[in-house]
Order: sequence, then C-alpha cells, then structure tokens
Amino acid sequence: MKHPVLTALRRTVLAAAVGSLLFAPGFAAERGGAANLAMVGEPPTLDPMASAADLVGTLMQHVYEPLYTFDAQWNLAPMLAERLPEVSADGLVYTIPLRKGVKFHNGREMNADDVVASLKRWADLAPRGKATAKEVKSIEARDPATVVVTLNRPYAPLVAQFALPTGFAAIMPKETIANPLTEFVGTGPYRLKERKPDQYVLMTRFDEYTPRTDAASGYAGKREALLDELRFVPVPNANTRVEGSLSGQYQFADLLPVESKKRLDNQPKIKPLLTKPFGFPYLVLNTRQGVLANAALRQAVQTAVNPTEMLLAGFGDPQFFEATGAHFPAGSAFHSDAGTARYGVADAAKARTEAAAAKYDGAPLRILASQQYEFHYRIALVLAENLKAAGFKVDLQLVDWATLVQRRNDPALWDVYVTHSAFLPEPMLSPPQLGDDAPGWWKTPAKDAALTAFNGETDPARRGALWAKVQETVYAEVPYIRVGNFNALTAVSPRLEGYDPRPWPYFWNVGLKQK
Amino acid sequence: MAAAASASVSSPGLGLALRKLFRRKVVLAGAVALVVLVLLALFAPFASPYDPSALKVLERLRGPSALHWFGTDEFGRDIFTRVVVGARYSLTIGALTVLIATVAGTLLGLCAGYFRRLDTPIMRVVDAMMAFPDILLAIALMAMLGASLFNVVLALAIVYTPRIARIVRASTLVVRELLFVEAARALGVSTARILFRHILLNTLSPILVQATFIFAYAILAEAGLSFLGVGVPPEIPTWGTMVAAGQQFADQAFWVVLYPGLAIVIAALSLQMVGDGLRDMLDPRLRKSL
Amino acid sequence: MFRYLMSRFAGMLAVMLIVAVLVFLLTRLAPGDPAALMLGDQATAEDVARLRAQYGLDQPLPLQFVYWLGEVLQGNLGQSIFLQQPVTAALAERAEPTFFLTLFSVAIASLIGIPCGVVSAVWRGRALDQAFTGVAMLGASIPSFWFGLILIQFFSVKLGWFPVAGYGDPDVPLAERLWHLVLPACVLGILNSALIIRFTRASMLDVLGEDYVRTARAMGHAERVVVLRHALRNALIPIITVIGLTAALLIGGAVVTETVFGLPGVGNLVVSAVLRRDYPVIQGALLAIAAVYVLINLLIDLLYRVADPRVRF
Repeated sequence: MKHPVLTALRRTVLAAAVGSLLFAPGFAAERGGAANLAMVGEPPTLDPMASAADLVGTLMQHVYEPLYTFDAQWNLAPMLAERLPEVSADGLVYTIPLRKGVKFHNGREMNADDVVASLKRWADLAPRGKATAKEVKSIEARDPATVVVTLNRPYAPLVAQFALPTGFAAIMPKETIANPLTEFVGTGPYRLKERKPDQYVLMTRFDEYTPRTDAASGYAGKREALLDELRFVPVPNANTRVEGSLSGQYQFADLLPVESKKRLDNQPKIKPLLTKPFGFPYLVLNTRQGVLANAALRQAVQTAVNPTEMLLAGFGDPQFFEATGAHFPAGSAFHSDAGTARYGVADAAKARTEAAAAKYDGAPLRILASQQYEFHYRIALVLAENLKAAGFKVDLQLVDWATLVQRRNDPALWDVYVTHSAFLPEPMLSPPQLGDDAPGWWKTPAKDAALTAFNGETDPARRGALWAKVQETVYAEVPYIRVGNFNALTAVSPRLEGYDPRPWPYFWNVGLKQK
Repeated sequence: MAAAASASVSSPGLGLALRKLFRRKVVLAGAVALVVLVLLALFAPFASPYDPSALKVLERLRGPSALHWFGTDEFGRDIFTRVVVGARYSLTIGALTVLIATVAGTLLGLCAGYFRRLDTPIMRVVDAMMAFPDILLAIALMAMLGASLFNVVLALAIVYTPRIARIVRASTLVVRELLFVEAARALGVSTARILFRHILLNTLSPILVQATFIFAYAILAEAGLSFLGVGVPPEIPTWGTMVAAGQQFADQAFWVVLYPGLAIVIAALSLQMVGDGLRDMLDPRLRKSL
Repeated sequence: MFRYLMSRFAGMLAVMLIVAVLVFLLTRLAPGDPAALMLGDQATAEDVARLRAQYGLDQPLPLQFVYWLGEVLQGNLGQSIFLQQPVTAALAERAEPTFFLTLFSVAIASLIGIPCGVVSAVWRGRALDQAFTGVAMLGASIPSFWFGLILIQFFSVKLGWFPVAGYGDPDVPLAERLWHLVLPACVLGILNSALIIRFTRASMLDVLGEDYVRTARAMGHAERVVVLRHALRNALIPIITVIGLTAALLIGGAVVTETVFGLPGVGNLVVSAVLRRDYPVIQGALLAIAAVYVLINLLIDLLYRVADPRVRF
C-alpha cells in the first residue's frame, strides 16, 4: 500500500538537498587512494547509539547501516530493508521486509534476529530510541527476513526515526551487542581499522560489501567504497581546518567558519561548498524550574532578543544566514507564518514592561553556552547584551560542551542554553523539545493537544495545517527560541570526485583523482 | 657581600638609585612604556568614548581608522578601548599574582632559610612543585579550580610562589650567618624582629628583581591559559582572551590579534627591561651569573 | 661518590613522594565525586556506589592515597574515561612527538643561544652584545601561541613550506612526520634561546677571566683558538646544565605550542584531558612529566659531577 506520510515526505523537497555543486550520476571516478578528512573533533565514542553527536553519526554511518535512509530529495528510502514498510490500515503495524544476503564485516549474513536485537538496544540506549520506544508496543521477527513493529497509537515519524544518522538505529550482529560496545561490526562499505584518539580514526574498504542495486541518490541506493581508506582526523581548531585545506593537507574539512569562504575561493587545492540551509541555532528555556518557569517571563525574553544581531555575530555576512521565524522554508509543506509575529521583535523597552508585568524579581538568568562551536558563544554574548538592555540580570556561564550536555539535564542549574540543530525534513525530529523529557521539560496541555493532533494525523494535506498550530504554540509558550537558519561551509579538494554536500558528510561513491 | 652592599645602596636616597637605574637607555624605555600602560589602565574610562562591551554587530571587523584607531572586533567593539580596558585586567592579574606569590614565597623562604628544622620539608615541597612546568601546573590547577578571573590569579600565584621561596631561602642562608645578625641574636632581639627587620630587608633586592620578572611571566601565562580556554572567561577582555577570540579572524582582520598581542609583548618586554636594570643596579654580580 | 649517590637518590624519592601527594590532592580536591565523573552522566546511583567501593573511595583519604600509590608503583596509572584506554597507553602514544619536539627545540635553542652568548661575552658591552641581550629579552616576551600563529600564516599558509598542523598521516615514514615538527620546534627554540644566551654569556665571562685563558693569550694563541678551544670548552658545563633544564621543562611545558600546531603530544593530552574532565589522565600525565623532570635533573647533576673535576666528593 501507499503510505501517506511517506508520500508527504517525498513531496517535501527541501532546499537542504541543493548543494552548490551536484555531480551527475554515472561519472567514472577512480578507485583507490586515501583521503584525509578534517573533522570538528574527537568523537566521544564510536558507539553509534550511545551518543547523539553529529560527529559520531557522520563517522559511523560508513561502518553501520540503518534500515531506512534519505535520498537526494529527503524522501525516505530503504537501505537494509528491502523496500518501504507495509503499514496496516489503522497505522499501527509496520511490516519491514529485509534484504537477503547482506554480510556483516565478520562474514555472517544479517537476519531478522540481528535487526530486532539492534532496534531493542537502540530503544534502550539512544535518546531518540527511548522517545520512539514509548510509541512502540513490540518489535518482532516474523521470519528471518521480516521484522514487524507494532505501535501503541499511530506515530507518523517512525520510519524517519529509523533513518536519521545521529544516535542512529544501526544494525549490528546480535553477538557483538554489548554495553559498552567493544567490537564495531556493521554492514557498511567501510570497516573500522584503527582508532588512535586525538590522531585519527581509520576505515578501510569492506571487500565483501553487498550494495543495493538501485541507483545512488543522497544517502540512498547503491553505495561503493571507491577510496581504499578513509582517515577521519580530529582538528578541533577551525582555523587549522581552513589552513590545512588551503595547504592541501586535507581533502575535506568540515564546518568551517563561514567567513573564511573568501580565502577558499579560487584556490588550487581546495574549493568551498555552501550547504544551505544547514541548520538553525536555538535557545532552550527552562520551563520547569527557576525564573523562566514563568511563561510570561519567557515571552519577555522572546521580545528582548534580537535574532538578526545574533546571526550577524554568529555568521558574519548575510549570505551565510537567514533571519526567519518560520520553522520551514517556503516551498515546504510545513511552511507557515503562524505565530511569527512574535519573532524578532527586539524591543528592549517593551520587554522591560513585559518583565515588570510578569513580576520579574531581578534574579539573574543563567545562560549556558560552550565554545566548541564559536557561534554558540557569540550568540550567547549577544543574548546577554539583549537581556541586559531589557533590564534582566544575566549570569553567562561558558563551559565546555561536555559540561553543558551534563548540566542541561539538571533543571536546577540553568535558565537558558544555546545550541543548534541540523535542518531536518520531518518536524518531529528536531528540536528535541517537541518530544517529551528533553532539557527544558516543556509539557503543557496546549503542547500535548497540538502535538497529539499532529503526530496522529497521517493525511499529508492536513499535516501542514496541524504543524502551523504546533509552531504557533511554540511562539505562544516559548519553550525555545529559534534564532534563524544558517548555512554551513565545508571545503573539498577538487580531486575528490562525487562528493555531495549533506548535513552528515559521507564518502562512499567518492573517489580521489590521482595527481 | 652582595646582599649587604645592596642594603646600603637603597639608603642614600631614591634619586641616586633611580639615576643609576636609568643610566641604561633600555631600562628607561622600559620604565616609560610601563608607566604609560599603567596610566592608560588607570584612566581607561577616559581614554576612549566607546563602551568596551557594547555590541555593534553591523560594524564588525572594520579596519583601523580615525574613528577606531585599532579597528573593531568580531562584535563591532572598539579594539583600542578593549586593549586599554584589557590593560586593566591583564596588569591587575599580573600584579595580584606577584603580590600573593611574593608574600607567600617570602614567608616560606624566610622560614626555610632561618629555621633549620623547617628547611628540608619546605624545600622538598618547593622542589616538588617546581618539578612541573609552570604552564602545566597552572593548567592543572585551573582544571581543579574552574575558570574564573580570581582562580587564574590564585593558580598563577601558586605556580610562582616556589620561585620566590627558593631565592629568599638562598639569601636568608647567607644573611643569617652575617655578623650583624649574630650580634642582634646575642643582644636578645626577638626572632620575628630579626627575620623581618634584618634579614628580610637584606633580601629585598633579589625579591624585587624576581618579582619584576614574575610579573612579566604572569602576563604571558594568563594569555596562554586564556588561549587554551582554561583561563579567564572569554567575555572578560584581557589581552589573552582578545588574542584567543580573534585568532579565527587573523587572516581577514589582522588587527584583531595584532594589537592585543603587541600589548602583551610590550608589557612583558618593558617589565623584563626594568627587571634587568634593577638586577644590574642592585647586584652587578647577579647579572653576570644569570 | 656512593654516599653522594645514595643521598641524592633519597632526596629524589622524597620529592617524588611529595609530587605524588600533590597530584593526588589536586584531583581529590576537584569538585565532584571522582566515581561519578569516571562513570559519566548516564550512571545510576548504584553504579557510582559500586565504583566508590571498588576504588576504595569510601575509605579515609590517607588510605586512599596508599591504595592509589600502590597501583602507581605497579605501573597502573588508571583508565582514561574519555579515551577508553589505560593512561599508560595514552602516554606512550603521545611520547614520540613530544620527545622529538623537545629534541629539535633544544637543538635550535642551543644553535642560537651558544654562538650568540659567546659573541656577547667576547664583545661585552658593545652594540652586538646589547643587541643580542635585547633580542633574548624580546624572545622571552612573545607569547608562544601568537608567534606560532604568525609563523603558520607565513610559512605554512602563504609559502606552503610546512604543514599547518598535525603529525602526519598514519602511514608516512618517520622522516615526514618529523617534518611536521620543524615549525613548532622553531617557535620553542627561538623563544627558549634567551636563557641559553644569558647563561653562555655569563659562563664565558667567568672563564675568560681565568688564569689559563690569560696564559693561552700570553702564549700568543689566536683569539679564535683561545675563545673556542680554551674558554668555550671550559664554559660548557654550566651551559649543558641549562640546556638540560630547558629540555626537562619542555616536556609537558610545550603545551601551548603543541596545541597551536595540533601535535598529539603529552602537553596536548593534558589540555584535552582538562577540557574533557578526564581526571585519571590529568593525574597520570602530571605524575609522569614530573618524574621525567626529576630524573633529568638527577642525570644533569651526576653529569656535572663526573665532568667537572673541581667538584669532588
């Protein structure tokens, strides 16, 4: 049967899919060679489920594969599954047929038991897995090549949850499942060879890889390991990533400061690639405890902030960001201006009046931000200035990212924190505050009403309108403040052929032209 | 004896000593630069019409001009203003570090040098602390204390205390055996009085010399800690945090790192020039052997 | 000689014991429960209690110290929380770049420091002497990261002579990896040459005033021969001492430079451990670095005594 949500996703043609350079499929790339890939840091773990960090997903998607993935237009497409699931008429039973003859790196063939065990581990361990688990009644193997997922109530984002590569539902052999994971055995085109912390993570081609037969498209379709070896090098200093690319040391460099684009233009050894929109920075407000548990004060904060200033400080030139209150760009089924009148008001005097009316008692707002991403810090600094101008007392706490991630779980420790998310096609996937139990702990009757209606609706035509209602509720209750959209800059060697800019860069189907 | 001789140098009058100190033009230059920096720091609010922390994002990364002498940084803040305000923070950090380290180090050194029974335990601890490279010990201390302005001072003071202690002990060992101390002891002068009136006074010159150098090192160390992200929180404008934050823009807006960096170099260099001059004046032999 | 050795050795052990106490206290005084820190934020209360018992963290502090010291003496520095490997293994991996970086830096510092020091001493008080003294002071006033950034901009980015950062690809020969060390070694060598210039100058001045140098001059030896053969050779011992000390301080003291150039050395390990709150690594690395420093000091001391006939036991 044709699944309505999947059809909707297929229609959701996002600008995200359009990089500045797309290569025609079917080019003849060379096989062999090794590429040095400068990444933003050392992955905290190689367990694809244990961490929701983008970095872990980016690396480990070469080793592990999911049941489903996204194609070039951000439609859902099967990867280890044979095809898209069959969904029962009531939307509760998903039957997932598996591909046969897919080999793990240890030589064994994948079967339904592995998939069930992997999904269960994901539901226990991964943050998105835990959220999804609440909707799931059972995961069972019907036969060696079929898995059946039964839901408690209709849950439209299920397949997209399986597909996302962060904290991802990776399929691993049952016998390697352990906590913590010690063997990293997957079905991917590359196998893990060596990890030397702070120096590199090495992956080599998996010779017995079983590719799909359909044509490559985005993350979907045929994957082929053209490069012999992938070397993911942690380069935490963004400047070093720029300079290393200029000097030809790296064939790929991730997440560069957008302002270095000028230097990367017209260079012999590297060229810049802009992914737009790449993601959105957002401020999470603590709705459970402290000053901002008062919704009226959250409104005052929303009135005080100046997103344009934040984006300018964070990303410099306007060609690298867009100050918009809509969660989805024009053209998307989810585009709406509902509630956005409250976006970008940036009126200090009005905010001061609102704060006074809400009986603000002068307690300092504790802002958590890290410098792992420079723009987080710069946005936090503008935020602090905006709030001070509106008469708020501010306690800006700059901590490392690990500490921030730890502290944000304790409602007693903070009032606002700065973070960002990659731009995702399915509203339910990001930011996590739309789900339950994410830091901020937004839980109100209005939220439940809006989201239950949205998640239970499988008719794409009506989902758009229901999303507008969700967006309006976000602006009314201010669980988070979306700052705007930003574009990402990466650098790629002209010798690297077939590279397709994506939020989680991948290097299968990518070859290195010899000099 | 060197130390005894220096005591007599300081008595005939400040004028003579200063003239002797500034006989070398290099020393004079260093002293002038220092005085200028201190004055700028003291009168920072009057030195410029700009607010050092007001954000004007639209005017970010402007080059040096008549309006902004040193240009603007990534938030559109005036760099000259921030360098001047940074002088306040950086010099205060240096001065407080020296003050604490000197007081603590002097007490430890006096005790170790004068009381034989305390010598070994104190000096073993001092040796142990000096077994760590300065910056590394400071980093480890910052890890335990947490990043803040005061903790930077505390960590650096702990790092430099052993240096002062060592020097004071060595001088104390020498002075202790001198005739006038023997005489004072025989006359029944109290130990505290001997320590602070007689011995301390005669170890002042090496302390002063060392303190000047530690001042310079402390400014450099603060910059290093801030660069590594374990020092002063980045929203406080010290020269170190300014270079650290600006390095990302160094290629397109060199002034962002150039001026605060130059301020560090000038401050550290002038302090060392003055220190060198002091050493020359107070103890010519020291200059030769160090 | 034997008695001297024994007393020196005993002193070293005492210092190392205090170093161990300091390192232990540093980590124990840190805010937070070490067990909770080791387990990370997903740990349950039972997990933490179990680890506390396992590591003896429920014992009084002195007992804990004895327990920890026992482990250290058996060569066990603990397990890194972040890197998921033993601290000793992490240190061993980082030792190579640090070792060669130290070696190169000291070589560069000496190549600059000794000739400049000799020239300064010979033409004492002249323009060249004052220039070298000034340059030495300038060197000691420049922040290493600032200098590093400038050198990278010029030599690596503009001219492309050197790699920007890192320690080479995994499969390249040692020689190519060492190429990565040239620029950082220049930073450290130039900035650290100040002390060597000063020591060489002072030590040469001492020797040039000695009787045998005057004798050599009186015998009509050329000034070059007098300075280089007679004076420098005798001035070398204190110079070697200061070179040794520079080397000892660079192991771990090169943190900032290692970070600027992204070298996976011991100093870099400590910095990332600090940023990651990886206390076992901080603890182990500090202990190892201090031990190396103390050992080098002992060696220098012995060398001094063996080489200098005037020092008798």
